[in-house]
Amino acid sequence: MRGFGELESVIMHMVWDHCGPVTVRDLFDQLSQERPIAYTTVMSTMDNLHRKGWLERVKEGKAYRYTATASREEYSARLMREALAAGGDTETVLSHFVAQIGDPESDVLRTVVRRLPARRPE
Amino acid sequence: MRSALPMCLYALAVASYSPALLARLSATGMSARMGLTAWLTAIASVLASIAIALQALVSAAAAGWHLLAEAFCRSVTGHACPPPMYSSALFEIPLAGAALTAALGAAILAWRYGRSVQRAQQLAHAHSAAALITGRRFPAVRGAVVLDVPQPTAYCVPGRPAAIVLTTGAIALLEPEQLTAVIAHEKAHLAGSHHLLVTLTRGLSAVLPGVPLFTRAQAEVSRLTEMLADDAAARHTGRPALVGALLALGTGAPVPSRALAAAAGDVTARVQRLLQPASPSPRARNRLALAAVTILLAAAPGLLTWLAGSLAARALPLPW
Repeated sequence: MRGFGELESVIMHMVWDHCGPVTVRDLFDQLSQERPIAYTTVMSTMDNLHRKGWLERVKEGKAYRYTATASREEYSARLMREALAAGGDTETVLSHFVAQIGDPESDVLRTVVRRLPARRPE
Repeated sequence: MRSALPMCLYALAVASYSPALLARLSATGMSARMGLTAWLTAIASVLASIAIALQALVSAAAAGWHLLAEAFCRSVTGHACPPPMYSSALFEIPLAGAALTAALGAAILAWRYGRSVQRAQQLAHAHSAAALITGRRFPAVRGAVVLDVPQPTAYCVPGRPAAIVLTTGAIALLEPEQLTAVIAHEKAHLAGSHHLLVTLTRGLSAVLPGVPLFTRAQAEVSRLTEMLADDAAARHTGRPALVGALLALGTGAPVPSRALAAAAGDVTARVQRLLQPASPSPRARNRLALAAVTILLAAAPGLLTWLAGSLAARALPLPW
């Protein structure tokens, strides 16, 4: 395992892939088949994810049942909106491989692509 | 005190007139690293000379307030400035008020600058953390994740740890070699802390809008850091893969790298310089010019201070 951040990701993906709410025990059983891990590690990681707003939980008997606050698709879409927002604050901190370009420049690039010699057969 | 005026004039001149020269020298990006150094040195030179001028003014005011008041009074009214006039409360209170306002204004600007830089860092760290949780690991590249999004795009964002974000759309669009070029490009950004340079210069132009040097430098620093990252990626995978990736992600259509071998034409500067690298002799001339400008900009504040000081020490009349 490469640190705490990775475990958070692994656990979130397990929650997303699971249908319905999960308990710490559910995920611990699943995780301990793949790697040596302590029950308390899973518990504190899920607690952190709850504190950070990734998971919500309801107490049922002695244990909490956790669900994701939003689906993986919603989080991905949110990140993408943030990344592509032109003129926003994130523009300064994200380095896009190709900046969002306007139509004229895109047209120029398309012209270049059209002028490329066609791929020759091998 | 002696050095305040020349330093201010120097800062004003560099802030207004250096952008045109620097932009011309760094336009082609044939020496991207030296171009970047020249722009950053120009900014540092302006900020240093303003700091020296402020320091000179403050120490002059502290050492002899009445001398400063007299000098200022004379500069406004000419020779008709007898002692009762400049040592009166009527003159001194507004002068002290103006000095305080200026100092306060400078402090507020510095604070706002620090906050804008800090806010950018926080945004980046939050985005990177969220991307690392949401994305699926991209095999074999540490810190790279894939978001399940059809729009083809790729970017990196600093953080603890930093993230390289690829979308499924980008992976579907690019050939494996082109994807390697994209990752090498983003890695170069992170390794060179390019985001920090961009954030610092952008913060300056946001806090002090309308200063030609800062406005222009913001765009140039981001353009030149892209070119630096391009150079790193081209060294890693070769130019065709990189240009192919640029064209594919720029147009949203797949571009086979092999087809690029014979490509030429009028395109954006990044693609152009990759397709048609500069020949050695213009490149050497460009480097020489950039080096000369950089050295001049780096040395000028210190040189001017020393000159003003030594002329004053020999009690020679100052040329200004």
